[in-house]
Parts: sequence; structure tokens; C-alpha cells
Amino acid sequence: MLDPVTTRYVEALFNLATREGVLDRVERDVEKLAGELTAPGVGEFYFDARLSQDARRLKIDSLLTSAHQLTKNFVHLLFDKRREDVLRNLGAAFHARALAERNTAEGVVESARPLGAGEIAQLAETLGRKLGKSVTLKNEIDPGLVGGVRVIVESKMLDRSVRGRLDGLRKKMEEAPLPSAQS
Amino acid sequence: MDLRPAEVTSILEKEIANYQGDASMQSVGTVLSVGDGVARVWGLDDCMMNELLEFSGGVRGVALNLEEDNVGCVLLGDATQVKEGDQVKTTGRIISVPTGPSLLGRVVNALGDPVDGRGPLAVSEDDYWQIEQPAPSVVERKGVFEPMLTGLKAVDAMIPVGRGQRELVIGDRQTGKSALLVDTIINQKRTGGGDPENPEQMICIYVAMGQKQSTVVDVVNRLEAAGAMPYTIVVSAPAIDEASMQYLAAYAGCTMGERFRDEGRHVVIMYDDLYKQALAYRQVMLLLRRPPGREAFPGDVFNLHSRLLERAAKLADNAPEINPRYKAGGGSLTALPVVETQESDVSAYIPTNVISITDGQIYLESNLFNAGVRPAVNAGISVSRVGGNAQTKAMKKIAGSLRLDLAQYRELQAFAQFGSDLDKATQQTLRRGERMVEILKQGQYVPMAVEDQIMIIYAGTSGALDEVPADRVAEFEKSFLQHMADANPDVGEEIRTSGQELSDDAKSKLDDAAKAVKAQMGL
Repeated sequence: MLDPVTTRYVEALFNLATREGVLDRVERDVEKLAGELTAPGVGEFYFDARLSQDARRLKIDSLLTSAHQLTKNFVHLLFDKRREDVLRNLGAAFHARALAERNTAEGVVESARPLGAGEIAQLAETLGRKLGKSVTLKNEIDPGLVGGVRVIVESKMLDRSVRGRLDGLRKKMEEAPLPSAQS
Repeated sequence: MDLRPAEVTSILEKEIANYQGDASMQSVGTVLSVGDGVARVWGLDDCMMNELLEFSGGVRGVALNLEEDNVGCVLLGDATQVKEGDQVKTTGRIISVPTGPSLLGRVVNALGDPVDGRGPLAVSEDDYWQIEQPAPSVVERKGVFEPMLTGLKAVDAMIPVGRGQRELVIGDRQTGKSALLVDTIINQKRTGGGDPENPEQMICIYVAMGQKQSTVVDVVNRLEAAGAMPYTIVVSAPAIDEASMQYLAAYAGCTMGERFRDEGRHVVIMYDDLYKQALAYRQVMLLLRRPPGREAFPGDVFNLHSRLLERAAKLADNAPEINPRYKAGGGSLTALPVVETQESDVSAYIPTNVISITDGQIYLESNLFNAGVRPAVNAGISVSRVGGNAQTKAMKKIAGSLRLDLAQYRELQAFAQFGSDLDKATQQTLRRGERMVEILKQGQYVPMAVEDQIMIIYAGTSGALDEVPADRVAEFEKSFLQHMADANPDVGEEIRTSGQELSDDAKSKLDDAAKAVKAQMGL
């Protein structure tokens, strides 16, 4: 989940990086930083309120030695404004912003058995036409679906699995007015 | 309920035939947090206001807060089945309830699902109406002119209610508010013989919000015993239900009534009670983090009640020409909202709101109730702003003298204890007033026909009762009405059918009867 604050900060960073033509560089920095921050056991250190802000700032500076000046400025600004929490979802938010810029969407296609690359590409193309953007899909296996596929792209879902059909049928059966009740 | 395999097969056949059907995409979201009957959901980009949502456990919810990054919704079922991270789907359906004649005689919850254990409703997809509907516009309405008789002398004579009116019933707890409503429902049997097929028959809808479940059962049993259930729908959202159901029940009931109103029928709907509904609404809105206002109610609590009560209306005869939504003109929806006051404080927030929306109020007072004046209507501060147009001429005439007698009595009541020290005229006013108060007393579950009301009130205002001791007025009333029914049934018939003032002939017959009954009683 992306909160509005994170989205706004990331938007600013993204726009600035684009204007200065250093988007690739900043994107790499952010990816690296996000990886560090989400590493198990390490990440929580940066958000530990029991430590002083200066200590945390020094620690995070050590991660930024090779980063672009813009990224450094961005992180320092976050600390100055006491918005360190933005760092938690920085990676995801930046990635989402970058996808939106390229008019692409990432999604998951769930199926009962592994899908071939051709099938996935075909699905992605069809969905892409429907959504008006290019879609890249990742295959996940869920035997509970029994058959068919279920695709989730952003907040849209296309459920063509046997499981979904059965659930829909069950609901219809429960709600259906029976002719015998009408007489 | 017996399931026939053939019916199941037919449903399956349809399903199989449409298997390839549309591959439309649904909006999905993820539950961020859930608790206290409220969930916050991330995603659901295309969610509509008031849209029905479906959680993965089959629990339903309604989207009420559409925010920048999340959707706030209330759950309409077992909230314990919903977990953080669960998937939520939109249904593309605004929250709606079943309507139509198959609901008559049934007890349903706020979603229109039957809760009386008598099987499913026979409704089709078209019978589902959205619970929020626009109120009829100015041109689609008409002035109130037909009476909606409660069968209670105190109300029908002094605070008449017309069809399409909104009359508030207000009072402390234990003052007989619900009893008044139940009597009104029972009395509607007179309009069409209790046959729901009869177009003259009033349809009654009783919406119980935040009540004890035992109270609802009691009301239903009472109605059943009186043969009033066939033309009544009970919408039950007892205190045990989720707060969201309690506040939505009023709109659900209103929608069910509108279906009949728009088909040209007459409906009376009772909201019991709107104070508890406002409390439920406050709870939901605070949990959804809407900013609280006065007494922590949300800012739109006035609109909550006004948009509900505005839907009560008397439709114009040509309403279908103006708006095809109406199948027939001339229908009406009368609303009798109830507000429970705390310690007789009518100037509290919710009571003043509802008083200002309605076309008058029936004020029930605990002092009167405890003094044995039941129904405990305080005639002084109860008003009906439009109902006068709906009264018959005969009733209007005698009610005028009744109101005068009572007003003079109230003025002098403080002197009553001085007894014989008072001058003749004052004593006479006091005596008359006492008799009048006695006449207006009435037992529960015995609503009276309007002609009987007119006859006994006429006897009072004409002074025939002045010699009858106050404690024997009830006895007089019984014998008097019996005498009239036996000896002069034509008088009652005349009052009922003519719609005119009492004729001199009828008056003399009534006077004679009063004399005869008094003689019989040894006076």
C-alpha cells in the first residue's frame, strides 16, 4: 500500500531526476537503497525511534556514498522533515511511478499448472489491449484453482478459473429464486 | 424448504449455456485493516459510492468512504471472517433490497433477507431497488387531503394525520410510543378489510432499529394476533445487528414502501426509532474517521434524516406523465418517525432536527402516562401542520370544541384543588375538562372507528357527560356506543359516508341516546 505522502515525495524525486536526465542513475540508487532497507534484520535499524536521528542519518549516509547527489539530497530532506517513514515504501513507490511513466503495468497470472511463455505473452497482449497499456505478467502456480487462469493487474482482476466459476455458481445457487417458492 | 432437483438443474443449465459469457474485469482490493464492523481496503480503483463489496469469506460490505488511497467500508455480516490481506471484489451493484407484494406478512432484515424462517422471497432481479432513491419533486406531489386514521381518539381528533404526511411521535422511554404505532397498524385493517390485494388497503411497514429482539417478536406476535400481518412488512435491525444494518434499515424499509407508493397504493411507514438510528450512524461514521460535530454526530446527521423523511409524499394524479418512474399516480407514503427523548428534553440535537423536518409531532409525556392518561398525548404542544385538511367536516367541527374545552381546562387546572370555593363557571369548565380527558383515554390494541370517535366526542362536547361521574365515563362510553349501534346504526353509517357535518337529526338521536344511557346507569 502506498500512502499519499510517499507518493508525493517520490513524484517530486522522479520529476526532478527526469528533468536533469539522471533518471537511470537515480533509479539504480533507489533500488539499491530499497534493497538495503528491506534486508531482514538490518532495515528496522533505520526506523528505530529509540536511536537518535543523527545516528540513523550517519548510518544511512554510509549506504549513499556512491549515490547521485539528487538521491543524497532526497534522503537528507526526508530526515530533515522527519519523514523517514517514506523510505519504507520508497522502492515500491518509485517502481510504480516508473511503470506509470512507461505506460506499463505488472501483473500476476495464477494458474493450476505452469503456463508456457507463449501463453503468457498472448494473455499479456490481450489484457494490454483491454487496459490500454503494455502488461508484463508473472506466472504463479496455485493448484487450488483446479483449471483456467486468474489474472490480477494493478487493482483489476480477470477470473476465468474453474475455482472462481464454482464460487460464482455456488453464490448463484444460494441467491436463485426457486420456482417452488414463487407459487 | 424442499429443493427440487429439476430446479437446480435448470439453474445449472443456464450457467453452463452462459459459461463463455462476458470476460469483464472486476476491481479488486486488499483489506488493510478490519475491526468494529469497518474495513479499510486498498485498491478498488473503480469502486462506486454505496457499492456492494464482496469479501473473500462471502461477507458483504458497503463502500462509504472513497478516499485518495483507500476505500472505507462497513461490513454487513460476520466481521470475524474477514482478515487483513483478504481479497475484496466489487460487485457493480449499488446496495439494494427486494421490494414487492411477496414481502407482505414477512419479517426481513436491513438487506431484505427474510429472518422469520418462512423460506425465501419470491422476487426477481427487477424487484431489487436501490435503497437510496431521490424524493419526489415538487411537481410530482400534491397536497395532503385523505386521512390516515390511527384509531386513537386523542390523535384523530386533535392531531390528525393525512396520507403523505410526516408526523413525529416523540416522548421519553415507556410513554407508549410503540404502542401508538402498533394500534395504528391494527387500525389500518379498516381501510381494506386486511386484504393486501384490495387497492384500498393501507400497506404498513414497521422498521425496528436498535430495538431489543424480544420487542420486535412481541410486536410481530401482536400484529399476528390482530390479523394485521397480511398487509404489514416488518424490517428488523435489532440492537444485536451491526450498526451499519441498523442505520440502513430505515432506507431499506422506505424503498419497500416506495414500490407500493409508486404503484398508486397507500403506505404508512414507521421508523422506530430515529434516535437509535442516529446513534448507529454516528458509530459507523466515527469508525470511518469522518470528522465529528455536535455531540460527536457527523455533520450530515440532519441530511441523514431529511433525505429519509422527504421520501414520504402524496403523489399527484398525473405523476406518471411527469416521471415514468411512477406506475400510477395518487399513491402516498405516510411516515411516522419515532424519536426517543432523554428526560423529556425535546430541545436536544436529534429531536429538534427531526421536529424541524416533520409536519408536526405527537408528544407523549411520562407524567400523563403515570397519571393514567393513556395514550399519554400532550394535546397542548402536539401539532399537525397539514393534517387538518384531511379531517372530515364532522370531526373538524367537534374537535374544535374539544380543543377549546381542553385548553380552558388546562388553564384552570391549577385551581382544581380548591373545589367548591370556585364560582359556578369555573367549576363547570373544570368538570367538562375532566370528562374530556376521560373520553380521550383509550385501551391498547382497541383502535376505534372514526364514526364511534365522533359520536362519543360529540356527547362530551355537547355537555351530556357533565352529570356522569368521571370514573364512570368509560362505562358510559361503552353503553352509549353499544346503544347507538343497536338502536340507530344509521347515524354511524351517515357519518362514515356523508363526509358532512353532523345533521340536526343525527344530533338529536345522539342526545336521546345519551339520555337513555344515563337513565340506564341510574343517573
